[in-house]
Amino acid sequence: MTSEKTAVSTERIKDSYFLRGENMTKIYSDGTVALKDASIEIHAHEIIGLLGENGAGKTTFTKILSGLLPPTSGRVVSPRGPVRFSSPREALDFGIGMVHQHFALVGPFTAAENVALSHERPFSRLQLSKANARLQALMEESGLRVPLDVPIEKLAVGEQQRVEILKVLSRDVDLLILDEPTSVLTPLEVDELFNLLRRLRGEGKSIILITHKLKEVQSVTDRVVVLRHGELVGDVPTESATTEQLAQLMVGQALETEARVVELSDKELPIKRERRAVNRTEMSVLHVEGLSARGDTGEAAVEDLTFDVYGGEIFGIAGVEGNGQSELVESLTGLRVPTAGVATIRGTNILGVDPRQIYKLGVAHIPEDRWELGLVLPFTLAENAILGVHQWKEFKGPLSFLRWGKINTHVRALMDRFEIRAAGPSAPAKSLSGGNQQKLIVGRELAKDPAIIVASQPTRGLDIGAAKYIRDLLVEMRDAGRAILLVSADLDEVLALADRIAIMYEGRFMTVCAPDDLDREQIGLLMGGVQRQEAPV
Amino acid sequence: MSEPTATKESRLLRGVHKTVTGLHPVFESLLAGAVGLLIGALLMYIWGFNPWRAYIALFKGAFGDSYGWASSIARGTPLILTALTFSICLRAGMFNIGAEGQMMIGAIAAITIALFTLPSGIHTVVGLLIAAAAGAAWSIVPAILKITRGVSEVISTIMFNWIGRFLVIWLGIHVLVDPIRAEKTLTIPKAARFPVIVRGTDLTASVFMAVGVALIIYFVLWHTTVGYEVRAAGLNPTAARYGGIRNKRTMILAFLLGGATAGLAGAALVMGLPPSYAIFSSGMPNLTNMGFDGMAVAMVGRNHPIGILFAALFFGGLNAGGRVMQFYGSNPVPLEMVRVVMGAIVLAMSVPELIRLFPAVKKSVMNIVERIRNRRARAAQEVSE
Repeated sequence: MTSEKTAVSTERIKDSYFLRGENMTKIYSDGTVALKDASIEIHAHEIIGLLGENGAGKTTFTKILSGLLPPTSGRVVSPRGPVRFSSPREALDFGIGMVHQHFALVGPFTAAENVALSHERPFSRLQLSKANARLQALMEESGLRVPLDVPIEKLAVGEQQRVEILKVLSRDVDLLILDEPTSVLTPLEVDELFNLLRRLRGEGKSIILITHKLKEVQSVTDRVVVLRHGELVGDVPTESATTEQLAQLMVGQALETEARVVELSDKELPIKRERRAVNRTEMSVLHVEGLSARGDTGEAAVEDLTFDVYGGEIFGIAGVEGNGQSELVESLTGLRVPTAGVATIRGTNILGVDPRQIYKLGVAHIPEDRWELGLVLPFTLAENAILGVHQWKEFKGPLSFLRWGKINTHVRALMDRFEIRAAGPSAPAKSLSGGNQQKLIVGRELAKDPAIIVASQPTRGLDIGAAKYIRDLLVEMRDAGRAILLVSADLDEVLALADRIAIMYEGRFMTVCAPDDLDREQIGLLMGGVQRQEAPV
Repeated sequence: MSEPTATKESRLLRGVHKTVTGLHPVFESLLAGAVGLLIGALLMYIWGFNPWRAYIALFKGAFGDSYGWASSIARGTPLILTALTFSICLRAGMFNIGAEGQMMIGAIAAITIALFTLPSGIHTVVGLLIAAAAGAAWSIVPAILKITRGVSEVISTIMFNWIGRFLVIWLGIHVLVDPIRAEKTLTIPKAARFPVIVRGTDLTASVFMAVGVALIIYFVLWHTTVGYEVRAAGLNPTAARYGGIRNKRTMILAFLLGGATAGLAGAALVMGLPPSYAIFSSGMPNLTNMGFDGMAVAMVGRNHPIGILFAALFFGGLNAGGRVMQFYGSNPVPLEMVRVVMGAIVLAMSVPELIRLFPAVKKSVMNIVERIRNRRARAAQEVSE
C-alpha cells in the first residue's frame, strides 16, 4: 500500500500534465475526416486558445479531448490512465466541464435550480437550500454575480453564460472548455469574462477557449492551438506569434494567396473598405416610422424606430444579438405583428400584412435562421428553391399543378448562377453544406428580382469563401440600385459593407451615421448601451 | 463555431422520412409485417394451435385463388380510404384519429340516398358526394377548435368519434330505419350500388374509386401547389409561414380532405360491400374499426398513397384470410388472432422509437453492473487486508 502511494506521487511529478491527447483521429461514419492525427498536452495554470475556421474540427477536437466522442484511432490519457466517458456527467465527475455556445439551461428555473439540477442524481432528494448556500459561497469566491431567484429566461445572455460557468465551476472542474463564449456578449461583458478566466488560471485551472477571433486569442491566452481541415497546424506560445502569422496558419500556407489574407483581414484585422460613391435614389424604398414591437415573451423588443432605406444603398444595423434586431426584421417581413408604427414600401403599408403580399411588393428576405425559417430541410433542393415563389405563374399550371419541368430548369440555372454545389435539383436540402444551403436561400431570394433585400445574419456560420461570395452578391445588388437592409451581429461585416450604419441597443438605435464617423471603441461603447459623451460632430 | 446538426423536422414525420434501422422504408414495413406474423405464431403455439397450418389457411384464404384475392381486395378497399385520412393530416403535421367517426357519418349520409331515386350512375355519384361532404363536415369542428382555440386534434377527434358513433346509431334507429326490419337502416337501392366486378364475390367497383382517390391524393400532395403547401407546413410550419403559406388554411384543408376520404370510406362500405348495403344499428359490425385499422394501414404504408395501396391489400388479406383460418378443419384459430397479428405489426412498426430509447436503458444497466462490480472488488480488497 505504502509503496504504491509513493509510486503515484512520483508519477504526478513526472507527468505534470492534466490531460494528453495522443494522435487523435476521427473519421465519422459518413467518411468525413474531422480530425487527423492531432496530439496535444494540457497543463494546469494555462489558457489555451483553440483557433480554426468553420469545420476545422474544433468541436470534434474538444469532444474527443473531453472523452465524449471516441476517437477512431489514438487515445486520450490522464496521469491516472486512459480516459473515456459515456456522458457529460461522467466527464464532469472527472473534472472536465464544457460551456456550450447554446446554453443548456432550463428557462423557467432560477439560477440556483439550474445549478442544483446538474448536481442531482435521478430520484435523489432535491436540496435547494443547500444548493443555494453552495452557490452563494461560489459566487463570493469566483466573483461571478448573478441574481439567484430570477428565472433564467429573464436574465440577459451574459448573465445566463455566467450561470453556465457557475454550473460547471460548482462541480469543481480542472479543465473548463468554452465554445465561442464571446459571440453573444457585449465588449464590456467580454472583458469581465476574460478577467474571470485569468483568475481561474491563477487558481490552477486549465481553460480551452474555442474561437475564431484573433484578437481574443491575443488578449487572453497563453498558448494557441490552430486547427485546419482537421489537422493540428500550430501549437505555439501566444506571445511568440503575431496576429498575421496566426491568420496564415488558420487559412493555410498552401492557400496563402494575397486574396485569402485580404479576405481574412476583412473579417479580423483593421477594416479595408473601398466604397463606391453612393448612388442612392432620391425616394426611399422602405420607410419606417415609430415602429414598436414586442418579443415572444411580451417584452418590448423594438421601440419607436424611425428610418429610411434608399435604393442603391446598404443600410446596416449592427449590435449585439438580442437587442431587437430579429423582431424588427420579422415585423418588416410579415412574420410578426408590431404594436405601433408605420412601415411602407414605396408607399404601400407592410405592417401586419401576410408575407405573401409583402413579397409581391418586391421584398426578398434572407432570414437569420437557415434551418428554422429559410429552408424545409427534408424537402429537395427544387422544393426549397420555390418556397415563397411557388405561386408564380411560371411554376403553377392549370388546376394549380406544379410545373416540375420548368421548376427544375429554374433550379439548375440557380445552381449555375449561384455556385450551389449539390447532386441535383432532387437532392435533399439536408444533404447540402451550410454554405450551399445559404447560397440556395440567397439565390432564391435574389431571383425574385427584389426592390429591397432584407438580409439578416447572411453569412453567419459560413466559411470565409462562402461568406465573401454572399457579401459580394449583396454589394452587386446595391450597385444595381436595390435597397438593402443588412442586419448582422458581425460588426466587421456591417462596417465593411454598409453605406450607413445604425447601432441597435435594447430596441433603439443608439446612432445612425456613416461607418467612418465612429472608431471601434466608440462603436463598442454604443453596442454596450453607453451613450456618446461628447456631442456628435 | 460548429454547425448544429439539422434536426428541424416535425416529430410526427420523423418515422416517415428516416428509418432507424437505416433500411429502405419498404423493407422496414416488410420487416414489421414479418415480426407481427411471428408474434402471432408464437401466441398461437402457446394456445395450442398449429401456427404453420393456421397461416397456410390464412394465406390460402387471402391470396390462394381468385375468390380469395377478390375478397382481400374488397376488405382492403375502405382501408385505403381511411388510411389516406390519417396520412393527409400527418403530412400536414397533425394527428387525426377521427377517421372512424368521419367514416360512420359518411356511411349514414350515404344511406340517405335511399330516400330518393335517380338514374343509376348519377345516383352513385350523388351518394359519394353526400358521403364525402358529410365526412368533411364532421372533421371541420376539430379543425376549427384546433386553429382558433389550440385544442389538440388528438383529443377532439377521439371525442368526435364517439359523438359520431352514437349519432349514427340514433339516426339508424329513429330516422333512417328500415320500416320492415328495425335492426337495420334503409337499404341502398340497386341503382346506386357499386356493381360487383367478380361474380360470386363481394368485390365491387368501389375499389376503382378508392385507388383513384389514392392516386388523386398522391398528385395533389406532390404535384400541386396546394399539396406543396400542406407538406411544407407539416414539415416546418415556421419556414412555411416565411414562404407565404397560410398554415391555418393548410390545416383546415388537410382536415377537410381527410374527412372527405373518410366519408368516401363510409360510402364504399354501405354502397359497395355486399350483401348488406345498409348499417346494422346495434354495434354496426360492418363499420366498426375500419377507421382505426386505417391508421395501422397508413403506418405500414409509410403514409404514402402508393404504399397505402399495398398495405391495405395486406390488411384486407389478413381480414379475409382470417375468416378462412377460423373454420379450418381441426385447427380453428379464432378470428381474434388476426387482430393480435395486426396489433403486433403496429407494435413492430413503433419499435424504431423503442430502439432510440434503448441505448439509455442499456447504459444505465451497465452502470449498475459496474458499480456492483466495483463494490465487490473493494470488499474483496478489504477482506484481504
